[in-house]
Amino acid sequence: MSFPAGTAAAAGLACCPLCGALGPAGSPRCARCGHRLHLRTPRSVQRTLALTLTAALLLVPANVLPIMVTVQLGRPEPSTILGGVVTLLHYGSWPIATVIFVASVLVPLLKISTLVLLCASVVRRTTAGPRQRTLLYRATELVGRWSMIDVFVVFVLVALVHLGQLLVIRPGPAAVAFAGAVILTMFAAEQFDPRLLWDHEEDARGGP
Amino acid sequence: MPPQPLPEAHTACPECDLLLTLPPLAPGERARCRRCGHLLARSPGAGFEPALAFALTAALCFACACAFPFLSFRARGLATEMSLPGAVAELWRAEEPALAGAVAGFALLGPLALLGAVTALLGPLVLRRPAPWLAGAARAVYTLGPWSMAEVFLLGVLVSLSKLLSLATVIPGIAFWAYLAFTLCLAATLARLDRHTVWTAIGSLGR
Repeated sequence: MSFPAGTAAAAGLACCPLCGALGPAGSPRCARCGHRLHLRTPRSVQRTLALTLTAALLLVPANVLPIMVTVQLGRPEPSTILGGVVTLLHYGSWPIATVIFVASVLVPLLKISTLVLLCASVVRRTTAGPRQRTLLYRATELVGRWSMIDVFVVFVLVALVHLGQLLVIRPGPAAVAFAGAVILTMFAAEQFDPRLLWDHEEDARGGP
Repeated sequence: MPPQPLPEAHTACPECDLLLTLPPLAPGERARCRRCGHLLARSPGAGFEPALAFALTAALCFACACAFPFLSFRARGLATEMSLPGAVAELWRAEEPALAGAVAGFALLGPLALLGAVTALLGPLVLRRPAPWLAGAARAVYTLGPWSMAEVFLLGVLVSLSKLLSLATVIPGIAFWAYLAFTLCLAATLARLDRHTVWTAIGSLGR
């Protein structure tokens, strides 16, 4: 594979993703920091897609099963992620409902579809808008961890509310599935190599 | 140590692989990739001393956040209180190891490990003494970064507080304020650890 002129890869150099030092292509580790050195992350698209699709599958139980169970006077009352948002809206606390909806529903879906689209654009050798696609990647990387909010909410409620027979909150199976989905999308974003988005440019020095 | 200008450096953009020569940067200046806009370097306005001061303050706050009650909850004449390590241990015993592990890892051990790596990195840099673990500590800092979710946990706590307010009286304890201070100090430290500056400083000390 040939790389666009003006890139480190075209000059036979690999840039360390961790410390930015340049090393000769083919050396296994960065001489400065010891991180693994690659011209491009090997099988980046396959790994990203595999992790993303697994995360997408985990989102199904995460949204169908209850994320927590409120046991009031012995009566269990399960609630799902979306059910929790609806309840919050019902009580008029729409700012909190918005936070939960964005972090637990919107961000995971957007993140998964963005990663799939980015992978597709690499496979199809799209040349349009590499800068916009890089921005999209940067946003996915930054925003992903905030999805964990709901898992932490369940933790605090479970830890705090245990009033014997009166009122107890227990975690539901969706909490673990959801945490797993978030962790997998974070690994997926880490595996994606954004340099692939630029490899079909003619000449890097020309710039956009 | 007064702020030092960053010397010229040859590198490539980690996001688009363009070969670059970073110009010397005066304190406070930033360099971005001219092709993709990635922030390559930010020359700090001060030496590493403020970063170390924030890290040590964060360590103190973290100790308080673990030692004192985090939240207390009062409803219908009954009261419960939780501390962070206590709540994790209780959840573990209640056979919810995955949830307990996720919180312990992302909200307690992850930020603690990050803080340890930051201190191991900044100590020798501030004292200007080479140490064999410098490169490893810097690697750990940048690898652990996304996995330490102190600020996400704090937002989760705020959301659950507002969910509970309709149900009962919830009183934040000393540990809650300590965790808030810990999160702010850790963020202040990390904001002062520009990658290019750190690796240049490690390089100038030698191994």
